Amino acid sequence: METISVTWILLDGTRKSVAVETGGNLMQAALDNGIDGIVGQCGGSLACATCHVVVEEAPSALPEIAPDEDDMLDMAEPERLPESRLSCQLVALPELDGIVLRVP
Amino acid sequence: MSTAPIYEIDPKTFWKDPYPDLKRMRAEAPIAYVPQLGATLLTRRDDIFENEKKIEIFSSDQPQGLMTVLMGQNLMRKDGAAHMAERKAIFPSVSPKTVKSVWKAQFETETAKALEELRPLGRADMVKDIAKRVSGEALKAITGLTNMSWQEMDRVSQGMIDGCANYAGDPEVEARCHDCTGSIDRHIDGMMPLLRETPDSSMLSVQMQAGLPEEAVRANIKLTISGGQNEPRDVIAGLVWTMLTHPEQLALVRDGKATWLQAFEEYARWISPIGMSPRRVARRYEAKGVTFEPEDRVFLMFGSGNRDEAAFEDPERFDVTRDTSQSIAFGAGPHFCAGAWASRCLIAEVALPMIFENLPGLALAGEVPFGGWAFRGPLEMPVTWGTIVS
Ligand code: FES
Repeated sequence: METISVTWILLDGTRKSVAVETGGNLMQAALDNGIDGIVGQCGGSLACATCHVVVEEAPSALPEIAPDEDDMLDMAEPERLPESRLSCQLVALPELDGIVLRVP
Repeated sequence: MSTAPIYEIDPKTFWKDPYPDLKRMRAEAPIAYVPQLGATLLTRRDDIFENEKKIEIFSSDQPQGLMTVLMGQNLMRKDGAAHMAERKAIFPSVSPKTVKSVWKAQFETETAKALEELRPLGRADMVKDIAKRVSGEALKAITGLTNMSWQEMDRVSQGMIDGCANYAGDPEVEARCHDCTGSIDRHIDGMMPLLRETPDSSMLSVQMQAGLPEEAVRANIKLTISGGQNEPRDVIAGLVWTMLTHPEQLALVRDGKATWLQAFEEYARWISPIGMSPRRVARRYEAKGVTFEPEDRVFLMFGSGNRDEAAFEDPERFDVTRDTSQSIAFGAGPHFCAGAWASRCLIAEVALPMIFENLPGLALAGEVPFGGWAFRGPLEMPVTWGTIVS
């Protein structure tokens, strides 16, 4: 199974890098790896905004924010930044190898 | 039936106050078969959170379930792609943006009207006169059934809830449920031509615009009514009661040290208005030494998970400043409550602040009994307030 490296900058500023299998979403990857602050209440059905991340470094352009994600991001806590995304909408694709996400 | 250890309850006691039993179950048998309910209960927060997402095992599709039989198969009783497609279709009616730009103003108008009418009386029943009405008016707007009265909205909602819980098969309860779904269908018939002419953001209209089959449209409206009336009603009244019995918590909100939204989220954790969601086991499965067999009935006990001492410190305490991010009051997983944003707005931005602002000197004026474990809230709540002497 192919994997990519995903790094989270945790709430206390430390970094945690893990190998994530391609194909799944990055909210689930965060839950599987016990990343504090990523709750993912709605299981990725775009209804809760508790999977909010700030993209610090992206190895390639991310897919555009869809209108539903955009709407939900407005409700994210803490307030959204230009680099904010919902991690349940980001799929671990080979081109995202090396992505760095900050837990806001 | 699953191989989970058996835990016996006294249904009456459990209905009155399920929390002591749930606490024991969490400690002694977190996955337990309760013969009186004919179901295996998951009571720990993390077990619910993990397993609710395993839809291929704990399925929402329950063709023989009372809800499907009585109300039609709505999106809460579908899984996977079929569920997501309908969920996407209704999103425009309940999205945070629509709530803010369309519904909020209507919530405010109707709540103000109710409070203005009641204020001179100096007393009311918070459940029957205020919470029911505020909740019913909001639901009329969101569903698009503006041709219904709020009293009828409450009646049909209750009639369907009772019908879905009618495991004993009482013919009278069933007949009343049919009468209620019939009423909804007639109101839908009345609104459809108007909404075809002038589409709006209501749930009826957006589903028609998305071209969903009429059968699904009707079933989803019924779902919204059965699930959209009692929760805001129970939380509005329940949270008012909680604030009046916890004056130090009310002071935190009044002094701006906490928000009404925090109070709302904490109340929904503390006394979850939806305490349970049922599932059907789709295939043999083993978890924590318990084997589930196909067709087993499983209850995900949200109300218990929200008092799990492993997830919340001192969970029995109501504390508006608590971090509630682990709460599963709106569910966990793909069936996460679609009305979450509407309810937050209705309750935390409109109803609670307006009630406390417009009824100065609000005080309890009698006993406030609570009931229920699948749905839980105050049954009645006499209150008084100071009238303005002119
Ligand atoms: S997990 Fe709920 S919006 Fe991403």
